[in-house]
Amino acid sequence: MVVKIRTVKDVSCPFCGTLCDDLEIDVDIKTDLVVEVRNGCQIGTRKYFSSNPSDHRYMKPLIKVNGEHKEVSWDEALDKAADILVNAQRPLLYGFSSTECEAQSRGVELAEMLNAILDNTASVCHGPSLLAIQDVGASLATLGEIKNRADTIIFWGSNPVHAHPRHLSRYSDFIRGYFRTDGRNDRNIIVIDPRYTHTAQIADKYIKVNPSEDYELIQAIRAVLRGSELDVKEVSGVPMDDIKELVEELKSCNFGVVFFGMGLTQSLAHHRNVDTAIRLVAELNDYTKFLLIPMRGHYNVAGANQVFTWNTGYPYSIDFSRGYPRYNPGEFSSVELLLRDEVDASLIVASDPGSNFPAASVKNLFKHPLISIEPHKTPTSAFADVILPAAIAGIECEGTAYRMDGVPLRLRKVKDPPGDTLSDKEILERLIEKVKEKLGE
Amino acid sequence: MSLDNLILLTGRTISQGVALEGGKASRENVRACGICTFDADDFKKLDCLVGTPVKVITDYGEVVLYSTITEEGPHQGIIFIPMGPWANQLVNPSSQGCGTPTYKGMKAKVEVVKSGKVLGAIELIGRLKEA
Ligand code: SF4
Repeated sequence: MVVKIRTVKDVSCPFCGTLCDDLEIDVDIKTDLVVEVRNGCQIGTRKYFSSNPSDHRYMKPLIKVNGEHKEVSWDEALDKAADILVNAQRPLLYGFSSTECEAQSRGVELAEMLNAILDNTASVCHGPSLLAIQDVGASLATLGEIKNRADTIIFWGSNPVHAHPRHLSRYSDFIRGYFRTDGRNDRNIIVIDPRYTHTAQIADKYIKVNPSEDYELIQAIRAVLRGSELDVKEVSGVPMDDIKELVEELKSCNFGVVFFGMGLTQSLAHHRNVDTAIRLVAELNDYTKFLLIPMRGHYNVAGANQVFTWNTGYPYSIDFSRGYPRYNPGEFSSVELLLRDEVDASLIVASDPGSNFPAASVKNLFKHPLISIEPHKTPTSAFADVILPAAIAGIECEGTAYRMDGVPLRLRKVKDPPGDTLSDKEILERLIEKVKEKLGE
Repeated sequence: MSLDNLILLTGRTISQGVALEGGKASRENVRACGICTFDADDFKKLDCLVGTPVKVITDYGEVVLYSTITEEGPHQGIIFIPMGPWANQLVNPSSQGCGTPTYKGMKAKVEVVKSGKVLGAIELIGRLKEA
């Protein structure tokens, strides 16, 4: 049998913040199945294959009746979802980082109508980075600049070999750039991490820092940079001589960058780690060019921050309960609200807090009605009262996403959405209409 | 056997990323994320075979996981669990006022439980629904 193939080129991968835009996808014209993915890493490739029908893909709207999910019409499911949201005192709208920007802006619209809490996944990953950047600013650049110019790359508390598999080959390590014509040989890679990660194993220098003691190490580096003598043998498990050697290396490079990950944001000092890292980078600019870039996780979490900010003034954890946006993540982040059991209904869009939130907050999430807009079965959707089956953005519908460095890229549609699935944007638009009806607007 | 005074770190792994796209209810997801990774010398002290279930206990909860030896060591005194439903039974939900939970750096203790069962993601999280 001859399989006729349609190839879609220059596809942006909707998985991680690297947002590689060079994938090629082969789709069988007859069956509309993805049959081949080129240029993607293991994860990106798997994501395209996961769009093919499987027993964990939702094809029709479902509502929970007597503990079982039952197929219903779109109208019935949306009606039930709208009822839940309109009747809640303090609804939470959460997720949005694995969908495209237009769906995100519909989320903002719905949250405002409902006087809800609006949050995206930054609140469990790089939220502290955003807080720090708001406090002290940041010297950022696009990944193209890094590729062409950077000769010293620090991965601090980030492990791109696992979390952003093509980052090293596209932007930060092996790739040849305009001023880095010999690629890997022209770059000095430094990894700072408590574990000798796979990224550390291919680096030029590995610095083993004690867990949760990054803050002290960054401060020691700053002190040495300013010429202070510290009267200790080591800081955070790192010998003083190594710190001095590192400072000399950083001062003498041509163009350095710190790519930092959740090793900084999710350990005890949270945003204090990041704001002191930003200060270090600013101080290094007295000697040479230095920048820093957060290694954003979800492919469009940066977009969620952009869209939320240009609509409300704030990037995440926004409270509309007074009819206008208020921002205070320590109070309004999803996890904090759930821990206090303040939320009485949730709408989860393209996310899985059941898997990704600490157990104590998941318990409270499950106590109240739950709506899930989701393509696949997850530990969140499995316990939802209403499941609204979504097309996968960047595979089955197009849109815009922001790469980790803030560059917006177009997501392509490579095949039609299966079954009765609709795009997140369309689902949210229909839900907004239903909510309007119920609110009498 | 058991080990005290460990530090628990959680984080991304490529198998975790691949498994979550392959189906969160799958056994593949259990094999990718329902694991506790030990430093090779620490693991010797547990005196068990790789794959033996262990119970990891922190101030915030406990969970049974498959044991394995790290490829990203040595990291004596540190255990690593890929982010996901299993790790999140153990992490510190407190954000110290910034909104983001403390997913890394909890004190932990490990016990070998030869007959323990590592639950699937849906079953494990389902217990929170019933609790
Ligand atoms: S590195 Fe990230 S964006 Fe690139 S192919 Fe892999 S998962 Fe997709």
